[in-house]
Amino acid sequence: MTITVSLTDVAGYLPGEPVPAEFFTRCPGADQRLRRSVMFAAPPYRHHVAPGDTNVDLIERAVAPLMRRHGAAEIRRVDVLLVHCQLPDLPFVGAGTEVARRLGLAPRWLLDVSNGGCASFVSMIELAAHLLRTTDARTALVCNAQTVAGQVFTQPAVRRLAQAAVPGDGCGVGYLTTSAAAPLLAVATRHIGEYAGDMTLACDSDRRYFEPGLDPMRIGFTEASIGRVFARGNRLVPEQVAEVCREVGVGPSAIDVLVTNQPNRAFLRNWREALQLPPERHLDTFEECGNLFGAAIPVTLDRGIRSGAVRPGDLVVLAGFAHAGDYAAAAAVRWGG
Amino acid sequence: MLADVPGLIRVENTAPEDMLARCLELTHSVYPHDQVYGRFCTVQEYVDCPPEQVYDYLRHGHHLQEWTYSVRDFAPAGEPGLWVGRDRLAERTPIYCRVLANADAMTVDYHCAWDQGERLWMIYLMRVVPAALVLDRPGSVITWTNCRHPYYDHNPRPDLAPRPDRPWVGDYWDLFYAGHGIELANLKSILEYRHANGLPVSVPPTVAAPR
Repeated sequence: MTITVSLTDVAGYLPGEPVPAEFFTRCPGADQRLRRSVMFAAPPYRHHVAPGDTNVDLIERAVAPLMRRHGAAEIRRVDVLLVHCQLPDLPFVGAGTEVARRLGLAPRWLLDVSNGGCASFVSMIELAAHLLRTTDARTALVCNAQTVAGQVFTQPAVRRLAQAAVPGDGCGVGYLTTSAAAPLLAVATRHIGEYAGDMTLACDSDRRYFEPGLDPMRIGFTEASIGRVFARGNRLVPEQVAEVCREVGVGPSAIDVLVTNQPNRAFLRNWREALQLPPERHLDTFEECGNLFGAAIPVTLDRGIRSGAVRPGDLVVLAGFAHAGDYAAAAAVRWGG
Repeated sequence: MLADVPGLIRVENTAPEDMLARCLELTHSVYPHDQVYGRFCTVQEYVDCPPEQVYDYLRHGHHLQEWTYSVRDFAPAGEPGLWVGRDRLAERTPIYCRVLANADAMTVDYHCAWDQGERLWMIYLMRVVPAALVLDRPGSVITWTNCRHPYYDHNPRPDLAPRPDRPWVGDYWDLFYAGHGIELANLKSILEYRHANGLPVSVPPTVAAPR
């Protein structure tokens, strides 16, 4: 008798007022190279964390609606807390225990997850579900905080690069329970070692990121690597979605709502085309939020639920790939509402 | 004057990053079948058999009776180099064929037609490439292209059909990629089996060629 695990609810939070694309495209010395490429075409808006905002601040604000909807006491009782921060505020300690302290949680299982990248919401769901099915844990909170955009990509020397205008900050959280409220039907995940290490951080000098220097950190995109990562991403997400559909026993055409990570418009277009889904069934928040990295899936799903785009009974598939393709994942949920 | 030609994309007028941007825009995960195979149909395969032997095998048209799905019973059609056989894809359908081969380029083209031999419009363009050159391994690469001649969509001589309801070869165009892929797999299997087992790759024709 397998215990049914549900993705009972999700919530999202976006910091501050929308930042228009001009913040980047009109900044002094803005580099227009690559900006016309679909990989780096700037969305009209994105959100940036305020100076001093931490991952824990974002998670606290994202969890607030869950506490309102389910009761603070209920959320404080979670047995499992999983946290993924795209940009850790502190090395060594992770953010999980600070989240527990701030929210008043006392989880039996607490993990800071540093892999899974843009698909880490799915990897955390899979791990949380495993813990809920195989231990006496009954509820879980999974958190994705993304604070790279307003911190790394606003640095003067980085802000002028085409890559800087694409990311956005935000936070999404999911609440899982052992119930049949919104059953998790299947998960299909793959770690792909051969693509590990292809996403790099770059500085102009050869200093380590923690060593002092004046040259800012950025993502090490090269033109050659863009083509490779593009082809990989094109393939990986539809493959995982098809795989999770096979496990559910339906074809991709049965998907009512697809929610993916959103590195750029081209991936969104290609994944939808590959799965032959109409645009209205593939939700995204790219135009308003840019690339939310790991927070994209829960933030977009939350928005879809609140707007009525996700209806009770819908087959919802969450999917994405990480970094330069080192992980790809998809999960299927029968939405409860 | 090149400058008079509209729409050229060359490094002189398009920076590499713009070229990259354009290419990314044009790169999809999937392409509608018709977009890829609607007007031309190319299949290709690696074969573990020396290119000279592959070329020699293809150059002798009677081998079509081994590796194609349905072309059989070739016999001289009465004029030099023209053969007539049966395409058993459709009942009582004669297929005329002339082989044009170029040993230097290792190209073998089968100029064919159903029902009549005056106008050979159904042309199978094949090329053998030494894999040593393109894949850095022994063996051969075979490419095979068909172009969608208007006659595929419109039988020029319906009066020659053995019966009014006989399907026309062009009705199968959308299945060519699959069908030719299966036939190319046949070809690969035959060549690789004979080569791996030290057998002669080419076999004598069952019908003596006219001298």
